[in-house]
Amino acid sequence: MKTAAIDRILERYRGDSSALIAILQDVQEEFHYIPEEVAIRITEELDVPLSRVYSLTTFFKAFSLTPRARYPINVCLGTACHVKGAPRILEKLERDLGIKTGQTTPDRTFGLEAVRCVGCCGLAPVVTVGEDLYGQVEPAQLSRILKKYKEAGSKS
Amino acid sequence: MGKTSKTVQINMDNQRLEVHRGLTILQAAESNGIYIPTLCAHQDLSPFGGCRMCIVEVEGMRGFPTACTTPVEEGMVIRTKTSQVQAERKEILQLILSEHTSSCLVCDEKVECKEFMGTIRKAGVTTGCRYCPNDDQCELQDVVDYLELDEIGYPVYYRGLRVEKEDPFYDRDYNLCILCGRCIRVCQEVRAANTLAFKQRGRFTVIGPAFDRTHMEAGCEFCGACVSVCPTGALSEKARKWEGKPDREQITTCALCGVGCQMRLLIKGEKIIGSLPAQDPVVNSGQLCVKGRFCVTELVNHHRRLRKPQRHQNGTEVELSWNEAIEAAAAELSVCAPKQFGMLISPNCSNEDLYIAQKFARVAMGSPNIDSSTRTFYGHGFSAYLDLFRQSAPLADLEKSSDILCVGLDARFGRSVVGVALRKAMKRGARIVTINPRPHNLALMADIWLKPILGAEAGLLRSLVKMTERKNSTSRTRAKGQGRGLTQDLLTVAEMLKNAHSPAILVGSEFLQHDKSWQIFELVGRLAQNVGARILPLPAQNNLLGSILMGTYPEILPGGFSSADEKKARQFKKSWSVNLAQFSTGWNASALSTGPRLKVLYLIGENLPGFDQLADFTIYQNIYSPDSPTVDALVLPSAAFTEADGTFINGEGRIQRVRKAVNPPGDALPDWEILCRIARKMGKKGFDFSSAGQIHREISRSVMNLGRFHRPKRKPVPLTWQGRVNVSRPKPSGKVKDGKQIPFLLHASSAEHVYRGFLLTAFVEGARQIFPQDMVDINPKDAQKKGISQGDAVVVSCERFQETWTANIVDEQPPRTLHVTLHQSASLGANPHRVKVKKKDV
Ligand code: SF4
Ligand code: SF4
Ligand code: SF4
Ligand code: FES
Ligand code: FES
Repeated sequence: MKTAAIDRILERYRGDSSALIAILQDVQEEFHYIPEEVAIRITEELDVPLSRVYSLTTFFKAFSLTPRARYPINVCLGTACHVKGAPRILEKLERDLGIKTGQTTPDRTFGLEAVRCVGCCGLAPVVTVGEDLYGQVEPAQLSRILKKYKEAGSKS
Repeated sequence: MGKTSKTVQINMDNQRLEVHRGLTILQAAESNGIYIPTLCAHQDLSPFGGCRMCIVEVEGMRGFPTACTTPVEEGMVIRTKTSQVQAERKEILQLILSEHTSSCLVCDEKVECKEFMGTIRKAGVTTGCRYCPNDDQCELQDVVDYLELDEIGYPVYYRGLRVEKEDPFYDRDYNLCILCGRCIRVCQEVRAANTLAFKQRGRFTVIGPAFDRTHMEAGCEFCGACVSVCPTGALSEKARKWEGKPDREQITTCALCGVGCQMRLLIKGEKIIGSLPAQDPVVNSGQLCVKGRFCVTELVNHHRRLRKPQRHQNGTEVELSWNEAIEAAAAELSVCAPKQFGMLISPNCSNEDLYIAQKFARVAMGSPNIDSSTRTFYGHGFSAYLDLFRQSAPLADLEKSSDILCVGLDARFGRSVVGVALRKAMKRGARIVTINPRPHNLALMADIWLKPILGAEAGLLRSLVKMTERKNSTSRTRAKGQGRGLTQDLLTVAEMLKNAHSPAILVGSEFLQHDKSWQIFELVGRLAQNVGARILPLPAQNNLLGSILMGTYPEILPGGFSSADEKKARQFKKSWSVNLAQFSTGWNASALSTGPRLKVLYLIGENLPGFDQLADFTIYQNIYSPDSPTVDALVLPSAAFTEADGTFINGEGRIQRVRKAVNPPGDALPDWEILCRIARKMGKKGFDFSSAGQIHREISRSVMNLGRFHRPKRKPVPLTWQGRVNVSRPKPSGKVKDGKQIPFLLHASSAEHVYRGFLLTAFVEGARQIFPQDMVDINPKDAQKKGISQGDAVVVSCERFQETWTANIVDEQPPRTLHVTLHQSASLGANPHRVKVKKKDV
């Protein structure tokens, strides 16, 4: 499965080594991380050294070498959100998901991170899940939000 | 105007300077003797601009540009040392040092400690603190001194990283690293090995290979280039860690293979403490391989070095003075008939040693019996291999080659300087093809890897030869016995070589001990003729050509003349007044164990297993003590290549100077000197030499022009010698009767990491990690069937031998075959061997 997917990605760029970052982005999207064997495959196809691929993947936060959650949850702990009760939201999420901040659920559906100001303080407190943003979140809303993603996750 | 001139006028520190356009401010300053402190810039590397130590003021430019990245421009006004610049630099340096263990930089006792070592301790200490292996040789210390920094105004953050010691040859303490990126740039730009890169970012940034691999796993060649350019003590050579600063240097030629790299020996007192590449444009362009860079020190300083002449007799060893030893040798030799004498000399010796050795045998002993163990090393392919040199070209020609075929070459450890040249050629657009049945470091980078089926290597080359013959059109020739994919590749390669405007063929060592080696080399020669390629054979022995041209074989006289050439033979007899009926009587090294027993066997730099059983009396002359106690021998201590003057002839035919860097240990002497003394004691004429230079002059006068001793010829000598060594070809091994499957086919190769008959692994700790010892390669499926796992002891046996080796499971090892590298593969007999394999019972 991995081979077919990586073939597709590489085909898109036709062995163009200047597209390395774009390729890594696609791989990250596909697998939610950069698997070692895929990194090795890329070096062979593009004729770039493995050390370079590794250097890039560890430099950019967008890439990860360990499987990342499908839906990363970011709880804002910036000043505005903090004042509006973000710590309680984080606590509740930790309890609901059974993980600590910085960890990923065993099924890799959710990951939990605390971040500083995401730039929409008017909506505080703010939580993002994957690409979606939720403003003025009440702790009570959280289980409904999580459920939505759990279902979406189990369908695909 | 319109035309841009080649130079620009600038003003630097109130001096008007005219400098080349395109230089950086730093280069302009350096070429005019103006010092600008730097940490990340390096003359051989691309500018990086990371450390900001080189900041300067330029009128009209905002802020402080870095001198190492800013090109000079017409009319620039630059100030390199204003008080503001210095203050900024100091600030930046403190920031750098806040993440660097700096006891040796800003210690209160720094000055006094260096001079008087007066720091109060509980115990009496006379050495002073040594926190960093780079102490006294550190560029960071230089910059601290220059900026007169004596304290660090920032909270010090110690990274607490583990010191990485798992790899051979050098340790890595990234707590001392200032992230200048020099190691990465040299590994990528100069070596093109691409082992290293920056990892992570911000304050977590570290240097290393991908995926936390060790350097060994990441394909590092242990060339040491990164260690050499590191400005701090972050990278340090294990063997030289606490040796401190050398007090002098000597430029010489590496004796560990036929490339003949130019090296700088670092000397402290009477000890060699390191070896670094010399800036030499013709042979190795400032690079060395792991052997030259990291093995020399341990090799020449080892405690097994012989220091005094000894007499070994039935397990007892008695030390002798030189006078006693020379007398003992002369006494034995004076009563030895020419026919009962035999001498072997290693091709690691200098031309001067080799010349005197053959003269000793032929003139002093009147015996034709002189040979070298190279004969057994190369076996039946020797003659064909030597013939390749007749079509050879200098290494520098790789630069001009458009298409390069590598035959059985691996350039990861030995010969990595050639690997560097290959990668450079590739960057330039040259195409690389490699022929090798086994995994090797060129496999990944080559455009095409022709991987012959085992036993069909010669067939593959024969197909290539046929395909490239003019009269044949490529497409109609079929490659026999090769898979279909391979045939396609062969056609591509044949086309490529035929159309190449400047093809080259490099010959490595994979096939040297092959059962069809002579065919393989003949075919390589024919292929080269078909396509007009130059051949670059890369011999394992540093002075193989010297041994041919100095004539240390029964078939070959000095100058490379055939000893069967009556006219030449007569000339020699006359000029040396030799009393010798025939030069070649059929005796050679392979007759040692089978032919009539000798009375005296004289070994110079040779170490044969059980050598003391081969003759009544042995003179063993070498740098290390024999491997096992000997029954009856005179043991004489020789000088290593770092301890004697002389010349070598490398694989290109280039005459290279070897220079004495230190005195030999104890009473050891150069080989030629020992030989001359014995000959004089025996009352023989023609051995009155008191320096290698005198011998060199005699060779140049009476044999062949080697140029002046102190300034050898620049151009390689022509490799058109006439003599040929006679080798017997093995009888074709009979076909196995059908129905009877051969259990396993074993191929044994001979180790190349050898100096004067000894394996480097016996003397150099790191070498044991890179050169596998007694490891037998086996295919994973076969291993599984036999219940063998990686690292298991396995017994490999046939009617003639039974050996226990360690299993090494290799994906690419063809099924039902085994491969092993031994010290002397000939000890098993001729390749291949039909053997049985089983896991050793415990
Ligand atoms: S030793 Fe050579 S190959 Fe290895 S990391 Fe250093 S520069 Fe690169
Ligand atoms: S290890 Fe040495 S050369 Fe490499 S970045 Fe650190 S200080 Fe510079
Ligand atoms: S390539 Fe050969 S000559 Fe050069 S350093 Fe290595 S062993 Fe010595
Ligand atoms: S503090 Fe949370 S969005 Fe700004
Ligand atoms: S030497 Fe110029 S920035 Fe480091």
